[in-house]
Amino acid sequence: MTPEKLVCLAAIAGVHGVRGQVTVKTFTEEPESVAAYGPLQDEEGNSYRLNLKGQKKGMLIAEIEGVKDRNAAEALKGTRLYVTRDALPPPEDAEEFYFADLIGLEARDREDNSLGYVSAVYNFGAGDLLELRDEDGGERMLPFSRDVVPDVDLDRGRILVDPPPETEAGSGPEDEEKNAPEA
Amino acid sequence: MARSVWKGPFVDGYLLKKAETVRNAGRNEIIKTWSRRSTIMPQFVGLTFGVHNGHKFLPVLVNENMIGHKFGEFAPSRTFTGHVADKKAKRG
Repeated sequence: MTPEKLVCLAAIAGVHGVRGQVTVKTFTEEPESVAAYGPLQDEEGNSYRLNLKGQKKGMLIAEIEGVKDRNAAEALKGTRLYVTRDALPPPEDAEEFYFADLIGLEARDREDNSLGYVSAVYNFGAGDLLELRDEDGGERMLPFSRDVVPDVDLDRGRILVDPPPETEAGSGPEDEEKNAPEA
Repeated sequence: MARSVWKGPFVDGYLLKKAETVRNAGRNEIIKTWSRRSTIMPQFVGLTFGVHNGHKFLPVLVNENMIGHKFGEFAPSRTFTGHVADKKAKRG
């Protein structure tokens, strides 16, 4: 039996008040959706059900069922809260993939050579980027586009990568002078 | 203080020239550049630039909404440690 893949949705950052409320740092796109995927669990498999009560300094204030006083809440400080990957709804679009699904996939080129694995997915405002890390620890960033990544095979755990050629635009004004037409 | 309008947007000449060359050749190349200070011009739309962040080149596929911004805005130079668990990536 393969262990279920867990996705970390939140972490208990601290306590709030004396009635067992906690502050929760969420890793979801919408902070409030942390409770939308059903009960959360920790690494040991203990289940937690959150009741959201408000917000404080970018974090959520929540009550955890069964936690009634501050001491019990403090004992949970630092606990990471997970859901199983199956609890997340399937993407609506065939071209959409959860970051959690992409991370860890093996990248192979058209000649079936390994290019490493996907170590992270970023979006800095110019489209999604895959960070590939090879066996030697070298990193490389590629745009997550249909041209560069023509195939994503989640079942086999690999992506097909067709890295685009690169060209340098020069390194500074010296190059501009070098390239300038002679008078 | 904002840049004077009469000067026009700043862009490094060699970058402009390289972008024109790549566009005219119809090649699908990543144009690696260190020029984070250059303004994104309308003629860059559709091209992919590799913008150096001090460590590596981050691919920036230019679209119309980026015109007027600087390349450096899309290639953060500080270590990014956050993550979003339920975020989805869309293949462009």
